[in-house]
Amino acid sequence: MGAVIIKTIAVYVARGITLLLAVSVLSFALASASPIDPETRYRLSHPGVSDENVERMREYWGIDEPPVKRYFAWLGGVLRGEWGTSTAYRQPVLDVVGVRFKTSLALMMTAWTFSGLLGFSVGCVMGVFRGRWQDRVIKRVCLIMCSIPTFWIGLVFLAVFAAALGWFPFGLAVPPGVPPEAVTLGQRIHHIILPAMTLGFLSFANLALHTREKLIDAYGSDWAIFARARGESDVAILFQHGIRNALIPAVTMQLGSFAELFGGSVFAESIFSYPGLGAAVSAAGTGATDIPLFLGIVIFTACFIFAGNLIANVLTLIIDPRTRRSTGI
Amino acid sequence: MKKLNRRTAAAIIAAAILAVILAIYIGGALLPAAAIDADFSQKGLPPSPGHIFGTDFLGRDMFVRTIKGLSLSLTVGAVASAISAVIALAVGLTAALGRGIVDHAVNWFIDVFMSVPHTVLIILISVALSRGAAGMLIGVAVTHWVSLARIIRGEVLQIRSAQYIAAARGFGKSRLWIARRHVLPHLLPQFFVGLILLFPHAIMHESGLTFLGFGLPPERPAIGIILAESMRYISSGAIWLAIFPGVSLVILVLLIDKLGSLVRYLLEPREAQM
Amino acid sequence: MKKSSLKTIIAALLAAALLCALAAACGGDAASNTDPSATPTPTDSVGKKDEVIIGFPGIPSGFDPLVTAGHGSYVPLLFSTLVALDADVNVIPDLAESYEVSEDALTYTFKLRSDARFTDGEPVKVSDVLFSLQTIMETASEIDLSVIDSVAAGAEGDTVIITLKHPQSTFILTMSGIGIAPEHLYGAGFAQSPVGSGPYKLAQYDVDQQMILEANEGYYGKAPGIRRAVFINMSGEDQQLIAARSGQVDITLTSATIAAVNTIDGYNLLVEKTVDNMGIVMPTIPAGSGTSSLGNPMGNDVTCDVNLRKAIAYAIDRERLCDEALSGYAAPAYSENDGMPWWNPESVIEMDVDYAISLLEAAGWTDTDGDGIRDKDGIKASVPVYYFAGDSARQAVAMSAANQVKENIGVELLVEGMGEGDIMAIMVAQPMILAWGSANPITSYYLYHSSSVGRDDWYNPESFASAAVDGYLEAALGAKTIEDAIPFWQKAQWDGETGTSMRGECPYIFLVNKDHLYFRRDGLNTGDQMIHAHGASWTLVANLKDWIWE
Repeated sequence: MGAVIIKTIAVYVARGITLLLAVSVLSFALASASPIDPETRYRLSHPGVSDENVERMREYWGIDEPPVKRYFAWLGGVLRGEWGTSTAYRQPVLDVVGVRFKTSLALMMTAWTFSGLLGFSVGCVMGVFRGRWQDRVIKRVCLIMCSIPTFWIGLVFLAVFAAALGWFPFGLAVPPGVPPEAVTLGQRIHHIILPAMTLGFLSFANLALHTREKLIDAYGSDWAIFARARGESDVAILFQHGIRNALIPAVTMQLGSFAELFGGSVFAESIFSYPGLGAAVSAAGTGATDIPLFLGIVIFTACFIFAGNLIANVLTLIIDPRTRRSTGI
Repeated sequence: MKKLNRRTAAAIIAAAILAVILAIYIGGALLPAAAIDADFSQKGLPPSPGHIFGTDFLGRDMFVRTIKGLSLSLTVGAVASAISAVIALAVGLTAALGRGIVDHAVNWFIDVFMSVPHTVLIILISVALSRGAAGMLIGVAVTHWVSLARIIRGEVLQIRSAQYIAAARGFGKSRLWIARRHVLPHLLPQFFVGLILLFPHAIMHESGLTFLGFGLPPERPAIGIILAESMRYISSGAIWLAIFPGVSLVILVLLIDKLGSLVRYLLEPREAQM
Repeated sequence: MKKSSLKTIIAALLAAALLCALAAACGGDAASNTDPSATPTPTDSVGKKDEVIIGFPGIPSGFDPLVTAGHGSYVPLLFSTLVALDADVNVIPDLAESYEVSEDALTYTFKLRSDARFTDGEPVKVSDVLFSLQTIMETASEIDLSVIDSVAAGAEGDTVIITLKHPQSTFILTMSGIGIAPEHLYGAGFAQSPVGSGPYKLAQYDVDQQMILEANEGYYGKAPGIRRAVFINMSGEDQQLIAARSGQVDITLTSATIAAVNTIDGYNLLVEKTVDNMGIVMPTIPAGSGTSSLGNPMGNDVTCDVNLRKAIAYAIDRERLCDEALSGYAAPAYSENDGMPWWNPESVIEMDVDYAISLLEAAGWTDTDGDGIRDKDGIKASVPVYYFAGDSARQAVAMSAANQVKENIGVELLVEGMGEGDIMAIMVAQPMILAWGSANPITSYYLYHSSSVGRDDWYNPESFASAAVDGYLEAALGAKTIEDAIPFWQKAQWDGETGTSMRGECPYIFLVNKDHLYFRRDGLNTGDQMIHAHGASWTLVANLKDWIWE
C-alpha cells in the first residue's frame, strides 16, 4: 500500500511541476502583454525625468530583450529564490509575499475551519431532517447563499457589525497605533472575525449541500435501513454511520477549495483593509501595476493550491481503497 | 395528467422569469444615459417615493443606476457565457472524441486553468488587456468553461459507450455521422442548461471584478462599481447605497438559477429535481 | 483502513488547521517576551500631552532622502535640510546657519551649524552634505540637480560651496527640500532604517500598517512638543471617519462629502486653505500633430481652438462648483499658484456667459442641428474629460463643471474615470482633470515651457508652446533671486496681451482649490501651517515639530 501511495504522489508531483511551469508561462505572457510597460510606469512616477535616465532604466529592465529570453531570465531567478523586487514596496517579492502570506494564512485558515465546521454541521442537520420542513428551509437558505457574492456579504457585515453595531473594528489586522510585539491574541482575533466570516460564507453553503447529499445516500444504504429496522434513531445512525461516510468527502472538498478560498480572500481583504496576499493582488493590479509582485503571488498561490489538492488526493487514496487501483488522478 | 400540469406550470414560471429578466435588460438599455447624470440638488437622499433606492453623493438616482447595472451585467453575462460555452463545447468534445493522449492533454490543460484562482486569473487578463470592457469579457469567459467542458466530456463518453452507438458503428457509419445524429442531440439539452447556469457565475464574477476596480470606468453603472462606491459612505450611514443594489443583484442571480433548473426540468424531466 | 485510525487522521487534520490559524494569528513576533503593558495602547496614549496619533494615507515604502525630496514628504521630519521654509514660504536657516549668494548668482556658500548630530551620535559634517548632493547628482532620478556644476568644501572647514552652471532663482527652494544623509551609514538597506538629523527619528514602520516617529533627543532646534507620533495607514474615507468617531486617532484626513454630513463630539474640523488646484488641461494643438515620445498621437480638433477653451473657462460659476461638488470646502481657482508670492492676481476672471457665447459665435461654433450642442464644420463641441478613477472629488468637480458648461454655452464635456496608466496613453490628445499646487514656482516652468511638450509625463500634456511665455519662464528661472524672478513668473501668466492664464492662451481651465480637511481632536494645536501644496497628508505634518496639546 505504501508503495502505491508513494508512486501516486510521485506521479502527482511530476504532473504538478508541469502545471506550475505552464502557469508561469501563462502568467508571464499575460503580464508582458500589459500595455502599461515599465517605461510608462517610470515616466508616470518620475515626471520630468531625463531621457538618459529612461534609457538607462530600459537597459536595467531589459525590455529591449526578446520575451522568451526575459521569461527564462525570470524563471531562473524564481528557481534561485530571486523573485525580483516589488515596485510598490521596494522590497524583494519573496519578503513581501512571505509577510503577507502569514497574515493571509491566519485569515484563510480561520475561515476554512469556520466554514468547514459550520457547513458540515448544517449538512448533518439537513441530513437528519431530510425531506422535512427544517431540511427544506435550510436548503433554500443555502441555495440563496450560494448566489450571494462574497464582496457584498462583506459590505453587509461591515455595515451591520462594524458601522451600525460597532462590535468589530472597521478593518486592518491589528489595532492601529500598537507596535506588533504588543498586539494581543485577543486583539488579533477581534480583527479577524469579520473578514473570516465573510470568507467562510463563500464555501459553507456548498459544503452543507454536499454533506446533505452524502448523508441522504448514507441513510439509503443497507446498513442504515437495517439500523432503523433495529429501532435506532436517525441521530444515532448519524453518529455511528453517517458522519463517517460524509466526513471524508467533506474534508476532501474543503481541501480542494483552496483556489476559491484564495479568490475570496481578494475581496474579503480588500473590503476590510486586511493586509494580506489577496489585498496585495488587487493593489498590484491597480494603479502603477506591480508586475514582479503580481507574478510572484500567482506562482505562490499556484503552489499553495497544488499542495491543497495533493493533500486532498492523498487523503482520498488512504481512506478510500477503491481509488487506489487506478493511478489516474 | 398531473405530470402535464407540472410541466405546464414550470413552463409558465420559466416564461415569467424570462419576461422579468428581459424587462430588466430592455429597461436598462432604454433608460436614457441622462437619467443618471449628476444632479447636485438631489444628492445623498435616502429612499423615498421619488427615488425608491435613494440617490448617491452626486445626486444620481440609485434605482436607475441599479437597473442599468443589472442590464449591463446581463449583457456581460450573455456574451461571456456564450464564449465560455463555445470553448467548453470545443474542449469537451475534443477530450471525449480524441483518444488517450488528446484526452490527457485536454485534462492537463483544464488543470492548468484550475491551478490559479479565477479571481487572480481574471485580474491578470484584465490587466493584460488594459482593464477595459474587452479584458473583463474575455477574463470572465475564459475562466468559466471548465465545469461545462467536464460535463460535456462525461456526457459524450457515456453516450459513446452506449449500445446504439456501437450498433451504428457496426453499420459502418462514419464518426462524423454518429456525432451529428446521435451525440449532438443528446448533448444539446445539457449544453443549453449548462449555458444558463454559467450565467449567474459570469455575473457574479463581473460584479466582483468591477468592484475591485478592474473592468469598467466608474461612470458606467455596473453593480460592482456601484457597490464599491457605496463602501465609502456606509460609515456615514448611507447604507441604502449598498443594500438595494446588492439585494437586486442577488435576486437576479437567483432568478437565473431558477430559470436554469426549470429549463432542465422541461428538457429532461427524469434527471431534474424540482 | 481502520475506523480508529481514520478518526485520528481527521482529528489531526482539524487540529492542525486550527493550530495553523492560531499560530499565524499570533504571528512570529508576538511570541517575543515583550510585556504588553510596557507599551501604551491607543486608549492610554490618547490625551497624553506629548503624543499624537495620526490617520495617514500612504506610509512610504522607504525613507531615502537621496531618492525622494521635497517639502511634501518625510524629508523635513527625519532629515536636516540646508535651509527650510516658514509658514509664509520664506527661506529660513536649518542645517546651514547662514548662506551667501555671489553677485553673479552662481555660487552659494552655506555655513553649517556645528551642533547638528545624526541620531547615531555622529556629527553632521561638510562631507555628509557633499556626499548627499553628489549621490543625488550621480544617480539623479526623482531629484533634478542638473543645474549644479560642482560642490566643494570651503576653506573654513564648515562651509559648503555649490557652484551652478547658470543662475536659477528657484535653487534655494529646491535645497529646502533636500535631506542630508550620513555618509558613513548610507547604503543598501538605508531606506528601511534611515538615520537623519531632523526633529524626529523613525522608531518603527510597517508599510501596510503604521510608522512611529519619536523625537530626536539630540535635535539642535527647538525641542518638539510632540515627542511621539504614530502614523496609522488609513486610506479609506470611511476608515478615517470611523477611526475618529471611535477616538482612535487625534487627527485624520477626511473628505468634503464626509465632512459635510458628519460631526464628531470632541473633534473640530480643521479646514486648511490650499493651492491644491484642480483644472481641466486641454490639448492646444489639432489632431494629427505628430506623436509623443512613447508614440501616442497628439492633439485634439475641438480643444485646439483657444476661443472654445476660453469660452468654457468663462462659462463656469466657480463658487457654485465649490458648493455643489465639494460642499463649500473649496475656493475658486484661477491658476496653478493662486496666492503664492509669484502669482499674478490678474489671472482672476469673472464668470461671463455672454462673453463666452460671443467667443464661440465669433469662432464659428453654432448649433446647426438643434441638439443643444454646438458644432463647427461637422465637428461637435463635445470632448471627454478624464479623471483618475476612484478620485471622488475630481469626479464631482468634473461633473458639476460639465453640467454648467452644457447648460450655459452648449459645449459637452463627457466625464469619465480611467486608470492612470490608461490616461497616460491618451492625455496628449484628450482633456483631463489634473491637480497641481507647489511651493516652488519651477512647477510653472515645467507646466508651460515648450521643452516639456510630448514627453509623456504630467507636465504639458496640452502641448502648449509660446515663444513669449518661454521667454518669461526662462527669464524667471534665470533670475538671481526669488524676488527678482517674481515679475517674470507673473508675466508668464498674463503680460497684458498673452500668457498661460485663462485670460490668455488658456491651456488649463482652472476650477477649484480644494480645502484640505481633517477631523482634529479638540485641544490639538497644529501650528501655523504653510499654505498647503498638492496632497493633503505630508503638507499637514510638515510642521509636526510645532504642534502642541493645549
